[in-house]
Amino acid sequence: MSSNRTRRTHATLVALAAGALVLTACSSGAGTNTEGGNDRSGAEAQRSQIAFGDAAASKGAAEEVPGARKGGTIKVYQRDTYSHLDPAQIYVSDEGALATLLFRKLTTYHMDNKGKYTVVGDLATDSGQSSDGGKTWKYTLKDNVKWEDGSPITAKDIRHSIERTFAPFITDGPYYLQQWLADTNSTDYRKLLKDGPYKGKHLPDSVLETPDDKTIVFHFKSPHPDLPYALAMAGYAAVQEKKDTKEKYDKAPQSSGPYKIKPGSFKSGKGMTLVRNTEWDPKTDNSRHQYVDKFDIQFGVSYPDSTQRLIADNSDNQTAVSFNNQVDAASMQTVSNDPKVKKRSTSGYQPYVGVINFNMKRIKDKKVREALAYAMPTQAVLDAYGTPGGGELAGSYISPTVTGYKDIDPYGKLKKPLGDVAKAKKILKDAGKTGMKITFAYMNAPEPQKYSVSIVDNLKKAGFDVQPKDLPSDTYYDVIGKVDNKFDIYASAWGADWPSASTVLPPTMDGRQVQDGSPNYSHYDNPEVSKEMDRIAKMSDQEKASEEWFKLNEKILKEDLPAIPTFYYKQIQLHGSKVGGVVNNDIISGVDPTKLFLKK
Amino acid sequence: MLRFLFRRSLGAIVILLLISAFTFFLFFAAPKDPALLSCGKNCTPDAIALIHKNLGLDKPIPVQYWDFMSGIVTGRDFAQGPCPAPCFGYSFANGDPVWDTIIDRFPTTISLTIGGAAVFLTVGLGTGMIAAWKQGKLVDKVFSSASLVLSSMQIYFIGPIVLALLVYNLEILGQPKYVNFTDNPAAWFMGLLIPWCVLSVIFTAQYTRMARSSMIEQLAEEHVRTARAKGMTRGTVFFRYAWRGSLIPIVTIFGIDLGSLFGGAMITEQTFALPGLGTLAVKSVRDTDLPMVMGVMLFAAAFIVLFNIIVDACYAFIDPRVRLS
Repeated sequence: MSSNRTRRTHATLVALAAGALVLTACSSGAGTNTEGGNDRSGAEAQRSQIAFGDAAASKGAAEEVPGARKGGTIKVYQRDTYSHLDPAQIYVSDEGALATLLFRKLTTYHMDNKGKYTVVGDLATDSGQSSDGGKTWKYTLKDNVKWEDGSPITAKDIRHSIERTFAPFITDGPYYLQQWLADTNSTDYRKLLKDGPYKGKHLPDSVLETPDDKTIVFHFKSPHPDLPYALAMAGYAAVQEKKDTKEKYDKAPQSSGPYKIKPGSFKSGKGMTLVRNTEWDPKTDNSRHQYVDKFDIQFGVSYPDSTQRLIADNSDNQTAVSFNNQVDAASMQTVSNDPKVKKRSTSGYQPYVGVINFNMKRIKDKKVREALAYAMPTQAVLDAYGTPGGGELAGSYISPTVTGYKDIDPYGKLKKPLGDVAKAKKILKDAGKTGMKITFAYMNAPEPQKYSVSIVDNLKKAGFDVQPKDLPSDTYYDVIGKVDNKFDIYASAWGADWPSASTVLPPTMDGRQVQDGSPNYSHYDNPEVSKEMDRIAKMSDQEKASEEWFKLNEKILKEDLPAIPTFYYKQIQLHGSKVGGVVNNDIISGVDPTKLFLKK
Repeated sequence: MLRFLFRRSLGAIVILLLISAFTFFLFFAAPKDPALLSCGKNCTPDAIALIHKNLGLDKPIPVQYWDFMSGIVTGRDFAQGPCPAPCFGYSFANGDPVWDTIIDRFPTTISLTIGGAAVFLTVGLGTGMIAAWKQGKLVDKVFSSASLVLSSMQIYFIGPIVLALLVYNLEILGQPKYVNFTDNPAAWFMGLLIPWCVLSVIFTAQYTRMARSSMIEQLAEEHVRTARAKGMTRGTVFFRYAWRGSLIPIVTIFGIDLGSLFGGAMITEQTFALPGLGTLAVKSVRDTDLPMVMGVMLFAAAFIVLFNIIVDACYAFIDPRVRLS
């Protein structure tokens, strides 16, 4: 997924600095951790394959959160208004967190009280039954799953939910499933059902079959073993056919989860109120709770503002939390050094990995890229985003949150994060490129401004003739996304959509994706690598595929070096002293709203 | 008076048309494509073209401008539904109806603006008058020095300090917030008290200095000297003759300051997380949300122009020597 919040948002994106917004799924992750701080053990514990749960694993009700009680109202501080409430338009993580309370999907991620994740059936009885080596997937709906108006959720609703994602007005959500159904890698998937289901046409049974009210069968032309992951995305949540108002649905969606939107309460830029959905049956849901009576969400509260309020922990702030706001970089030391505040913090990984891209169209000599990599002060990049807590030095293109993660560090960036200038200088000299001109583009935003000074300094010491060039934050990603951009090195970030490297390497490293606007910002094109990606993508054995993705990741890094990783993104969040059940959920990159309760 | 109002109204319409054209066409000179707002993950040229079509950005810019402006008068139809006049369209960012959003946000900003103005007019004029009354005395020196210091205190600087001190540490006041006046007048007042004071600090300082100098100038006028020579008391001369005359330049400046006050309200709203037109304007510009930018810009411009007409009309009442014709 594009770096952060919306791509719309490119700019915002890097505000990513401050916060991950794109809904992503990482894999494993730090899971729980309420009593302040976090180390890597949580993520490491989760690096084993996330299991696809069977019917037993998918059965409700969810295990109780220790100490939980019912009742009360939790105040929620959010920086951004939710741009979309129509699940098909949801891709960013702040809306994804909200979606966990409102919408149910065929599958979902279950996080147990120990922080272990499993993909389980949500509306479906299990995570899916595959045949044909992953080309056919069958789902059966649970009994007694209902919409907020009390009517049953049927296979017809699920068919409608999927078919409407082909409609022209659905532009912001994920489109993995649409592409798989249309058997294409591009946006021409819409041709399969160009108006969606709104003009009487439907997907053929050879693609999507709903033989009865309970059964949904997907037929793909290629194996798609990742389907249970994809269906767990908020973008594929169920939409009630008879209540579908097309574009207007974005303002008044029907709930299938434990909470629903209080009618008329959503005010863009102001806030919204969630109240209990009385038609939600906890016995059908093994992942969500309905502890508090209401969530009173306030928009427009900046990170510094929410941080100050929650540090103060006075009056209403004692019962407040934020689903997505992070501790602002300037307050990280305060949070870290004050045990009372630290105790009310939660932290975890985000699925994003920051890198410094090398423009492969311009820097074709690998020795030069090596010299750049060795000289790069990755610690300075990380420090700019706030330490401790803003992240962790990276050695790989893939985050520790992704299943099968392995630590690698072929360029010694973990051992020498300030940069090995001497080694870089020697490599550059041996290559006969001392004094080579390098144009370094960076975003005109606080964090890049900070780290750019160190980068320029190190590169100059290594023997490069560095030409720094700041770019407006609003258009930064558009500019570096141009294949013919005039820059040699620049920073970007990318996160997995689900806990598989299949959502990291193909978008960012597949040469066939090199085009304007593509996230392959290095414009890296190695046909052999692309071929290998195709091979791995078809593997039905998830564990084996995971190993292969990481081998390919290491091969790209060692042999071609199109970018040097800088740091893995992490976030720290605070909550009021009277809020319980606060755990970090790596899948939604923040506090898990479904487990929250108010203490006495 | 009617001729005056008619002539000024026509002028106001021309001003608003110029502002609308300038804003609209300037928008398209921006390097950022609004299609990126809703482009999802991979913004391929196909995806961008589809969004352009959805938003109506595939039409020639003059046609888009005409559609927009005519919609304000006649209303328009959108995929989201009919948009009755005055129709400013729907937000590119989140599909909200622009006019409804503006109306929803306006009470916050007008409360902030009027409250802030009330504070700086009362305190600023009051201290300025006292300083002039006590010219050269300790009080004058204290007020004059304080106004110098306070006139350099920016909202984004003192706002967080006041919050940290009064709200988070001493807990004397609650978190600033906007509550509808009609719902709870006391909560409305208490919720905006800090923002009013913070917003008005610089203005208060400036109006203190302005009122003082204007008053001292008036006190030196011949008619004031004549009044004194005729044996009137100092208080009568001060309030009946000098004070009234000193208001003329202040009222003029106040009309101009409304625009600045709106700008100050933007920063104040951001500082205290108040959902007004200021935060809406900032977000709209950041999002390249053309309909919302246009709506907020025209609404604010109309408001400022209207207020200036009112201020101009007030001249006649403040100083009978001024003739509106």
